Amino acid sequence: MAQADIQLQIPSAAFYIEPVRVFVGNLAQSLGFSRKRVSDIQLVLDEICSNAVHHGSADEKVGVKLCISIDTHALEILVRDTGRRYTGEKNWLTHERLSEIEMNRSPNNERGHGIFIAKSLADMHEMQPNAAGGTDVRVTFRLPKPRDIEI
Amino acid sequence: MDSTKLMKLREESGIKVIEIQTDLSSYAASDLRKVLEGLLAEKVEKVVVNLSQVSHINSTAVGALVGVAKRLRQSGGDLKICSLADNLTRTFNLIGASSVVEIYESENSALAAF
Repeated sequence: MAQADIQLQIPSAAFYIEPVRVFVGNLAQSLGFSRKRVSDIQLVLDEICSNAVHHGSADEKVGVKLCISIDTHALEILVRDTGRRYTGEKNWLTHERLSEIEMNRSPNNERGHGIFIAKSLADMHEMQPNAAGGTDVRVTFRLPKPRDIEI
Repeated sequence: MDSTKLMKLREESGIKVIEIQTDLSSYAASDLRKVLEGLLAEKVEKVVVNLSQVSHINSTAVGALVGVAKRLRQSGGDLKICSLADNLTRTFNLIGASSVVEIYESENSALAAF
């Protein structure tokens, strides 16, 4: 099955999320996603990149990696951070931490909605610790129609 | 870049109106928080946030609006939001924030609700 991969690395700073969001929005539009679905994809990307930058990076220099894969059926986005082990903080992805975030989520809270949004809007959402000591977040959005990929 | 310059402040009948002229992703959301905190520091009580020129909002920005609305209510004021595009309304509904912050179709109706 034909597949195209796009790899990006951005500094771990919120400033760089916006241009990536715009790029991924344009890509999703080119792939034939509806306007509503493009908004969903952009929102999910913003939320998972924000978590990687704010919770999963020791400093700006370490960077956040993105791998965007397109095959005949789906657009998949992997966001990889390296964690905060150098600062002595625990990886923010622990089962206890995730359960705590989910249990405490409330419309009245100012924070803690990002994972909920990603889970709600992506066709598939997966979070795993990675070998670098950080977190991999993978989200998949099914293409509206199967398509041929030109590489 | 300082996106606070794209958050225009004006006053209508004693109510502060913030007209946001940038999309509210992570970076601009922290600037929005700064602008709102500035209004709280000035003891402003009534705020309308006009989102008619915003095509994207993330949960950090929604959280900032929810937090300031709650704080203003404690002192008898409020923050109301107006002119949301459909995808912004969906984000507020998904988070549940539309049950916490009052949302109006137009700036005039938000101002009239005070």
